[in-house]
Amino acid sequence: MPAKPTPPPVPARFQVGKATLLMDRFMNQFIKIGGLSVIVAVFGIFIFILVQILPLFRGAQAEELKAFQLEPGDYVQLGIDEWSELPFAMQADGDLNFIDVVGDRGVMTKTLPFAADHGVGAVQYNQLAQRLAVGTRDGQFSLVEIAYRPTYGAGNARTIEAELKAGDLLAIGRPGVPVAMIGYADAGARKLAVAKQIVDGRMELHAVTLAQRRTLMGGGRITLDRTYNLTGLVTGTIDKFLVAAQADSVLIATTEGELIYLFLDGGEFYVRQRLKPFAHLPDPRIKLLNYVFGDVTFVTVGMNGETKGYSLFLDPAVGSRQFGETKRFDARPGATEVFAASVRNKAFLLGTERHARLIFSTTETVRWQQDLGFSVRQAIIGGKYDRMVFLDEASKLHFFRLNDPHPESSFRAFFGKLWYEGAPAPKYDWQSTGGSDDFEPKLSLVPLIIGSLKGTFYALLFAVPIALLAAIYTSQFLKPEVKTIVKPTMEIMASLPSVVLGFLAALWLAPILETRVPSVILIVTLVPLTALAFGWAWTKLPPRARLAIAPGWEFVVFLPMMFAAGYTAWHLGPSLERLIFVVTDPTSGQRVADFRLWWPSVTGTPFEQRNSLVVGFMMGFAVIPIIFTIAEDALSNVPQSLRSGSLALGASRWQTAFRIVLPTASAGIFSALMIGLGRAVGETMIVVMATGNTPIMEWNIFSGMRTLSANIAVELPEAPHHGTLYRTLFLGAMVLFVMTFLVNTVAEVLRQRLRDRYKTVE
Amino acid sequence: MSTATLPSTSRPTMTQTTTASAGAPALNPAYIQIKDFSFYYGAAKVLHGLSLDIPEQQVTAFIGPSGCGKSTLLRNLNRMNDLVDGIRHEGDILVNGHSIYDPLIEVIALRKRIGMVFQKSNPFPKSIYENVVYSLRVAGRNGKAELDEVVERSLKGAALWDEVKDRLHESAFGLSGGQMQRLCIARAIANRPEILLMDEPCSALDPIATAKVEELIHELKKEFTIVIVTHNMQQAARVSDRTAFFYLGKLIEYDVTTNIFQNPANAQTEAYVSGRFG
Repeated sequence: MPAKPTPPPVPARFQVGKATLLMDRFMNQFIKIGGLSVIVAVFGIFIFILVQILPLFRGAQAEELKAFQLEPGDYVQLGIDEWSELPFAMQADGDLNFIDVVGDRGVMTKTLPFAADHGVGAVQYNQLAQRLAVGTRDGQFSLVEIAYRPTYGAGNARTIEAELKAGDLLAIGRPGVPVAMIGYADAGARKLAVAKQIVDGRMELHAVTLAQRRTLMGGGRITLDRTYNLTGLVTGTIDKFLVAAQADSVLIATTEGELIYLFLDGGEFYVRQRLKPFAHLPDPRIKLLNYVFGDVTFVTVGMNGETKGYSLFLDPAVGSRQFGETKRFDARPGATEVFAASVRNKAFLLGTERHARLIFSTTETVRWQQDLGFSVRQAIIGGKYDRMVFLDEASKLHFFRLNDPHPESSFRAFFGKLWYEGAPAPKYDWQSTGGSDDFEPKLSLVPLIIGSLKGTFYALLFAVPIALLAAIYTSQFLKPEVKTIVKPTMEIMASLPSVVLGFLAALWLAPILETRVPSVILIVTLVPLTALAFGWAWTKLPPRARLAIAPGWEFVVFLPMMFAAGYTAWHLGPSLERLIFVVTDPTSGQRVADFRLWWPSVTGTPFEQRNSLVVGFMMGFAVIPIIFTIAEDALSNVPQSLRSGSLALGASRWQTAFRIVLPTASAGIFSALMIGLGRAVGETMIVVMATGNTPIMEWNIFSGMRTLSANIAVELPEAPHHGTLYRTLFLGAMVLFVMTFLVNTVAEVLRQRLRDRYKTVE
Repeated sequence: MSTATLPSTSRPTMTQTTTASAGAPALNPAYIQIKDFSFYYGAAKVLHGLSLDIPEQQVTAFIGPSGCGKSTLLRNLNRMNDLVDGIRHEGDILVNGHSIYDPLIEVIALRKRIGMVFQKSNPFPKSIYENVVYSLRVAGRNGKAELDEVVERSLKGAALWDEVKDRLHESAFGLSGGQMQRLCIARAIANRPEILLMDEPCSALDPIATAKVEELIHELKKEFTIVIVTHNMQQAARVSDRTAFFYLGKLIEYDVTTNIFQNPANAQTEAYVSGRFG
């Protein structure tokens, strides 16, 4: 095989060094990897946020875990312990059958101690307090505590034990007459029991208030305080009634389909409201009436399956807290037999024939629904909103697992108007946490989006004119030797940490501005007017006088005048206040000159110390250097040849700046504005510190705001990991992300267009 | 000015009369007199006591090697050098008998009177139409009839009308390099200045475009006094009536063009125009 001719060696002077080649290839790859990593990181963040928020938009899932056949009987009430391990089914005769659903203890029966002697006429179960109010067949009632107690056996295996602790029998209504229906509420200082009896074929309604002596050892004995006969207040035949947890009212449904709202005030009951929820139907009777958790909203179902929610709120037209229709739920034709409210949130379960559905009251959404293989007779939701128990017509207990971690969320909850409990009208509201367990979270992001836009608007309103005019002046009129000082100074301004700005805004600027609004008004009018007047006067000066100042140094004369104007305006402020911003003090009748009082009295909107003006100034302070620097660069990068061309045609410097330089640099200026906008939208620290963080929906400059970013900063430390609030905050982050993404995309498209339109020949 | 009808063949005669009447500038409204003019960029003296008179309605060419100061002098005629920092001058320049450095005159007014075409065409990022009428717009003249008339006259004057009349409202950047330069000339003459300064107007153009611009200069001469800076000696010979040769900031020779190129008085001029240096 002939050897291939070896190519002649490359002379050393044509050779490329190995290190040079290696470095070149390495850097090529390195930069590629770097660029890809950035894209991957941004997408990674996006996907992470998406994964965090997706569970919010999933419905509830439920599956049957077990079923237990109970002895056939007349079961009147289901109950369940906090851990959902030992539910019970109560029979009409007073036997409680506890069913061990996790262990193998089977069914354990406990009997009410007084059942044998006095009988059981009616029962009401309070799941939250684990308390039964039991009415006897001889006109008495007793409060029975179901004491659930975990015990730990071998190997730390936990079992739940239940024990019945019956209180004294207390008289209610007519002695010796069976209690047909009982309701009881304990609001601490006030305890109210209500019983329905049938006396000689007539319905009677009796109420008692109870007193409990508090001792050092805990609650003392419960004794009767006052008795009431409510029969006279009710017109019609009492069908069912509810006693609100606040122990101050009884809501009665009559067989005629009327609701009567009795209120206990000043030791007496009176009728506060009467309404007919289904008056429009041929059969106006009320099939179901129950409170959802918190006892502020009740759900009522008509004979045709129509399901509505009524909530207590203060109607300014009426003047007292009354029920108004606030909710309309999906109607399901057929007789709805069963209702069960969650004791953890505003969800409730409705059983209609062989079908069950779980509805969340606040959002009116059906969280879960399923056709069941049985007819529901009784139902209950576990204390942790993680189990559902159904009892069917064959006395079979069906034990379901419920998985619904975010019942409060829905698209409407985040972006739509909801009619919250206690509110006179539907509204957008953000209030994620409250003081009580039965608090209804309000998770609308709309006030936060408005807040973000408001803060951005006021910041840019202040920053854009100043930054742009400064950039034009610096790039087009200022002497280069001054420019070399001005520009770095502005850039140092950008490096101020926003927490410092926020601190200054909150503790220094806000208190000053609070009393000096008239001065600020004067400054923003007088200073620009002075500038215009100066410019006009300057052109009218004899040329010889003007020549004393070299072109580009006019600011030496101008600046002192501006400061003088600002100083004068600041000190004229109080005089202006005395002149214009005068209100009459409603209490003393005196005339007071105070802008803080004048503004609310004239506009009807509040005046707060931490307001948008302060945020506008301080956030503007943060945004100005960014817009200034980029805009100045863009303006300075306009080719000198264009400026010369314009000047050579007899245009003034100002005309050149506005007609040639500004349009040519428009793409760059636009970028500057967009970057400034991005900074203002995402700015957090200044807003957190300098606004009241009140999520309000108004554009009033003298009130605060809460922005999406500030909301995340304020609430994330308090949001339980993977809870609804936690994920909602991530949803806020996503909205912020999408907002900036949209703005940036639109901005980029516009910028490209501007650049194509005003590109210069190179 | 009725002198616009003077035939170009009368060039030598004209030259004679203008140089002879140099002492009585008031008769020539666009007469430029440069009197012992020195110019400094910071500490560097770039023009050394130049004196020359530029006659009306003729083409005067400034030639010389790079750095000789010819462009600097040209840019002083409409005070474009004011834009540069650290400049200083001595001596004076008179246009129509008035000093352009008189503190009482307005630079903007001066520039309206003295148009300028730059080495590199610099159309504004606007339409062809708006480019041409720019000088009128900044003067606040916005009447459509007037602007239309000016656009047509100026573009015809710059021999560009036939090429662009159907796309007046399209961007000026769609034009070729030669067209752009002629657009800049049209723009410069739109406001009918008295003097047109041209700073190497053809240096970036191909020979065909150059020929068109040169032809144009011949036409424009009838109406304007033209001062042109050029590196191209053939061009100077072709278009100018008078030529000034500068070297190292000094005026070496200034005479009728034919004399400079065929019979220069100075040895340096002779060396330069014959291509032996520069």
